[in-house]
Amino acid sequence: MSKNVQAVWEVLSPQKATLTLRGQLDTSSVASIWKDITSRQSAWLKASDSLEPELIVNAAEVEYVDSAGVAYLIDLHRQQDLAKGRFKITGLDEKYQMLLSRFSPIDPLYPAPEEKLIDGIIIRLGKSASTFLQDIKSLVDFVGKVTAGFFWVARKPLDLRWRDMVFAGSQAGVSALPIVALVAFLIGVILAFQSAVGLQQYGASTYVAPLVSKGIFRELGPLITAILFAGRSAAAFAAEIGTMTVNNEVDALTTAGINPIRFLVMPRVIAGIIVVPILTLFANMISVLAVMLTMTLYQIPFVTSYKGLISMVNLDDIYSGVIKSVIFGVVVAGIGCMRGMQTGTGAAAVGISTTRAVVSSIVVIVLVDGIFAYISYQTGF
Amino acid sequence: MKPITVSNLTVGYGDRILSKNLNFEVNAGEIFVILGGSGCGKSSLLKNLFGLYPPLSGTILINGRDLTLAQGQDRQDLMLSFGVMYQQGALFGSMSLLDNVKLLMEEYTHLSNDQMNLIARCTLDLVGLLPYENLMPSEISGGMQKRAAIARAMALNPKILFLDEPSAGLDPVTSAGLDQLIIDLSRNLDITFVIVTHELASIETIADRVIMLDKDAQGIIAQGDPKVLKTQSDNKKVFEFFNRVSTT
Repeated sequence: MSKNVQAVWEVLSPQKATLTLRGQLDTSSVASIWKDITSRQSAWLKASDSLEPELIVNAAEVEYVDSAGVAYLIDLHRQQDLAKGRFKITGLDEKYQMLLSRFSPIDPLYPAPEEKLIDGIIIRLGKSASTFLQDIKSLVDFVGKVTAGFFWVARKPLDLRWRDMVFAGSQAGVSALPIVALVAFLIGVILAFQSAVGLQQYGASTYVAPLVSKGIFRELGPLITAILFAGRSAAAFAAEIGTMTVNNEVDALTTAGINPIRFLVMPRVIAGIIVVPILTLFANMISVLAVMLTMTLYQIPFVTSYKGLISMVNLDDIYSGVIKSVIFGVVVAGIGCMRGMQTGTGAAAVGISTTRAVVSSIVVIVLVDGIFAYISYQTGF
Repeated sequence: MKPITVSNLTVGYGDRILSKNLNFEVNAGEIFVILGGSGCGKSSLLKNLFGLYPPLSGTILINGRDLTLAQGQDRQDLMLSFGVMYQQGALFGSMSLLDNVKLLMEEYTHLSNDQMNLIARCTLDLVGLLPYENLMPSEISGGMQKRAAIARAMALNPKILFLDEPSAGLDPVTSAGLDQLIIDLSRNLDITFVIVTHELASIETIADRVIMLDKDAQGIIAQGDPKVLKTQSDNKKVFEFFNRVSTT
């Protein structure tokens, strides 16, 4: 028993029981008596063959009752009601009687458990299809608006918020240089080691640097940069615009006659177009450097690797990667902004938007890369 | 023992002093209001009182224990002896109203889920929100959010509640309803309220006693019964505040 409350349960007859309460009936004390007394009450009610078993709660020595105490008394009352018994409280301070009377009738405090409807497979499929179509619709709508935004920028370039574009570009670009450099360097080292293991068996270690570099320029440089851009900047764009949406700042722009696409999206998308190719070229250089440095461990001189690279990698390889990175820049920045604009209400919605922005960006990056691979196969570019 | 005793308190941030040499006590079961013009440091004082920020100097005794010196478990016990309602409600957006109220019980009591549900429902019923227990905070009005925030602050049935501008931004009818709720909770559950507000109608309705802070004086310029202060204070700023006039 808690030091704050004392409860004495007494069965006088199958028809009558008393509960004497003393002390403070509050949150910290009721837990100590609730379960025990309720189980005694249940046992007595079960054993009672009386038509109307009566429980009398003697509360004359109760000093204090809070909402937990009230809840406890209500629960005793409820057990009596369920057993079609009678319930009476005696001696309770008038103030607490008034408090208790606020909860009469007590039935609304015991709502029926909600029936959890489990959708059948057809309904779930329908819902998923509907969500997917809604997503496609909003994507098409957004792409249309951004395309219109590009025409607007082309027509009135001075009206674009260039300061915002420079800020977004520096956040997404300059600030990303250290992480891009680190990842590109490590990828270069790993690829060089892995490729050398295979080619060394054929005495072709000299070809590691040119071959790996070709792959980096055409594929890995743009891909790694785009994924990093998605993780850093698409998430940041979604969180920033999402928070603005939650705070009605986007609504404020609309009601002020300012197009949110031009104000918020275009500076970020254009920043993406400029920054991602530059980051890609930077990542390419660091990766290739890492490959050539690694190959010196296999006694392939730096100059040999460099000459091999010059002979095998041509400008088309570099252009192919850069063009791809421009598309990645538009797509990833656009998706980040779109998810931000689609944010619902509440802090959790911003988190959901950010997650969706990163996931969608990575999926679309891989999809675009696949399309490029096919075009490259068909055209030889 | 007084629930709250403040001695020689200096409120501020870094080198910026908002109020100094504050001395006052709050009596048990009292509705105590801190008022004053914008920027005088009302909310900062409140945040010092409930331990969110440490004061620059001075002592704050909550039920005789010094909040400014309390550490570890002692501090946590002290913090659980009161509840706080923030100005914007600060309800957890991902939880229903019932779950918001249950949260502290889940963390700090050994009650069963059914018992916690019943207590939370009683608490929501006290603030008139029982029919909305399953709604999310974003689905209810501003006034309802403030009521729900009071319910959450009451979850562990503390004897002291700190409310930061409970009536701010509410329509007069909702505001009057909230005032009545505060009075009812004070009378029925013996809760001591410390409230920051500058809503005159609320102050006159609910306050047993007030202190008035002033930016220029950097301290308390009046304290006592608001009805007396309104009619009898000879301080110009107090007169202007209570009678809603500006002589500048």
